[in-house]
Amino acid sequence: MPTSSAQTSEKPKSSANGVAKRPSELLTKEQCLELFQHLYLARYFDVRLIKEKKRGRLRGTLYSSHNQEAVIVGSIYGLQPNDWISPIHRDMPMFFLKDARNGLRNPNRMGMTIEEICAQVWCKAGSPGRARDNWSHIGSQSKHIIHSTSMLAGTIPAAAGVALADKINGVNNVVLTFNGEGSTAQGVFHEAINFAAVRKLPVVTVVENNMWAYGTPVELECPTEDVADRAKGYGIPGFVANGQDVFDVYDKVMEAVEWARAGNGPSIVECKTFRAYGHGDHDDDRAAKYRDPKEVAQGRANDPIAVCRKRLIDLGYLTGDAATQYVAENKGAGEVTNEDFPPEVVEYMNEGIEFAMNSPLPEAEEGGMWVFKE
Amino acid sequence: MAVAQQVGTVKKNYLQALNEALREEMARNEDLLLLGEDIGILGGAFGVTEGLQEEFGGHRVYDMPISEAAIVGVAVGAALNGKTVMAEMQFIDFISCGFDQIVNMMATYHYRTAGEVNIPVVVRGPAGGYGGGALYHSQMNEAWFCHSPGLKVVCPSTPYDAKGLMKAALRDGNPVIFYEIKELYRLNSIAEELPEEDYTVPLGKAAIRRSGKDLTFVTYGNNVYHCLEAAEVLFKEHGIDAEVIDIRSLVPLDEETIYTSLGKTNRVVVVNEAPMTCGFAGEIVARITNNAFDLLDAPPLRVTRLDTPVPWAKPLESFVLPGVDKIVAAGLRVARF
Repeated sequence: MPTSSAQTSEKPKSSANGVAKRPSELLTKEQCLELFQHLYLARYFDVRLIKEKKRGRLRGTLYSSHNQEAVIVGSIYGLQPNDWISPIHRDMPMFFLKDARNGLRNPNRMGMTIEEICAQVWCKAGSPGRARDNWSHIGSQSKHIIHSTSMLAGTIPAAAGVALADKINGVNNVVLTFNGEGSTAQGVFHEAINFAAVRKLPVVTVVENNMWAYGTPVELECPTEDVADRAKGYGIPGFVANGQDVFDVYDKVMEAVEWARAGNGPSIVECKTFRAYGHGDHDDDRAAKYRDPKEVAQGRANDPIAVCRKRLIDLGYLTGDAATQYVAENKGAGEVTNEDFPPEVVEYMNEGIEFAMNSPLPEAEEGGMWVFKE
Repeated sequence: MAVAQQVGTVKKNYLQALNEALREEMARNEDLLLLGEDIGILGGAFGVTEGLQEEFGGHRVYDMPISEAAIVGVAVGAALNGKTVMAEMQFIDFISCGFDQIVNMMATYHYRTAGEVNIPVVVRGPAGGYGGGALYHSQMNEAWFCHSPGLKVVCPSTPYDAKGLMKAALRDGNPVIFYEIKELYRLNSIAEELPEEDYTVPLGKAAIRRSGKDLTFVTYGNNVYHCLEAAEVLFKEHGIDAEVIDIRSLVPLDEETIYTSLGKTNRVVVVNEAPMTCGFAGEIVARITNNAFDLLDAPPLRVTRLDTPVPWAKPLESFVLPGVDKIVAAGLRVARF
């Protein structure tokens, strides 16, 4: 995986120049272990939902984030509580991992609860959007999470608008938008980043390059070697991260975030990863045919949990039994069991699911409500 | 520029009324932003925003790149973060370039968040034909947005209404698509004195422009004037006394005023300058037949643009757009049914 920084005309001070430490090198042992736990939380959320879906308990399409957890976890871990994010379909764990450093069970943190997210997935009234739009199409104005639509790259203009309002108000928040490599071909991707660059707005566009836009490979979507090369056209930095390595994602995104917070404007951070399954669960069988099994095996070879575990062992943060317990990596959703995860991770998800199961369905008449603000 | 007040008169034209509305709302609401192409340094292609950047600053009035989707999307994001936004489409024809952001992002935001998020954004722009603007500077595409739940749609025909509806739209809290009739911008014959004090014209309230007892014209925008002219012809030449209702708001629609009028006249012609098929004139006719069928003594008729683009040369343009003659003919048909 290329991990070099494809910086362009305006170069941020490189963090890899041998002088300054990389942001991840400043993380404490506790923080590194917390990142590891967040990977487990993200993975367990996904595999548990895959199982629930196969049991017929969920409605709609599941867009698995399996094998892409390092992007989800590493990109938001270093944000300030009031920073904004706009997750997309494959980023669902982000909703409850935002500002998780202030405590997953802290009601005042700037993130959503696992109960809210599970109620959303279960189509229940306890969902923050009362199950009006599906799966990842939720958010929270008060928690600074922009709600997405199915029109990919469609939240980048909103991200720029949020950033513009903050800038006018003298508030120094950064806005992270998430996009697949496929949606970088959208016209609105260009329009929004162009505007953000013109006005030097603190918008970081994270591109989760999982090599496949539904059934189309990246080389048919993007003509440049790296998707991050698109940044050159806007005179902004483009970074490339190893999307399997939570620390590398953290480093590149933090560099972009600090660049933005310092008033230098937007940037693009491409995280190279690989989509483990189909585009959605409806596509798993076909994806097994349109993708070369060798490519799939290679793409999944660097499981982000395994990569993180190795790093933590090297750092001496995981030793003895702790280094070899809860081996959730390199296992498909059908193979992995609850015993492969730390019990507190399973418990957290169980609590969310219990809330969802007990939450009522929305009342039918709500379908006609809230078209307009009265 | 025409925005400057003419010496010796306090009458304001449609354009000046809009400029005043924006200026007064900018002063009233410090969270109001203006976004659009050429609206700051230049003051707008037509001058609707003239002087506003000078007065309120570049942090309130933004010259945007030629990016309608970004203009709308940025407006939505700013609204999500506490701002009220006027987003100008340089011509309403260009609104199609921002269509997804309007109908999928902006229109649905309140709905999909179960009322958590309000999007106080007014997307406004010069609209309509009769000026030789040809295909891409003559459109009335309001039906697209009437057909997208979550958007209010208004179209003033007088300076008083232009100012009052703009102020109401900017205070409404919902996304509003605001159709300005560019052929009326500088039409001196409709210039009028405007109240000194602050006022609004409520969305969803029609105005009766001419009282009559024999038939009802339901219309909006530039065709208000064509209907008034047709009513005079019908009265003078045929002794037919037509009522003219200017609906002003399409969404929400003031149906009561229409049905009250039909209770008196029992005959109706709906006139607008959009294409007929799936147009808003058809929607008005459908509601009348559903809700007021008993009041009708004749089939409701529509006079609209032909189902064609708006062509350039004058004879072609006149051929496809509604005009006084076509409206008179339709009035005679329903009156004599």
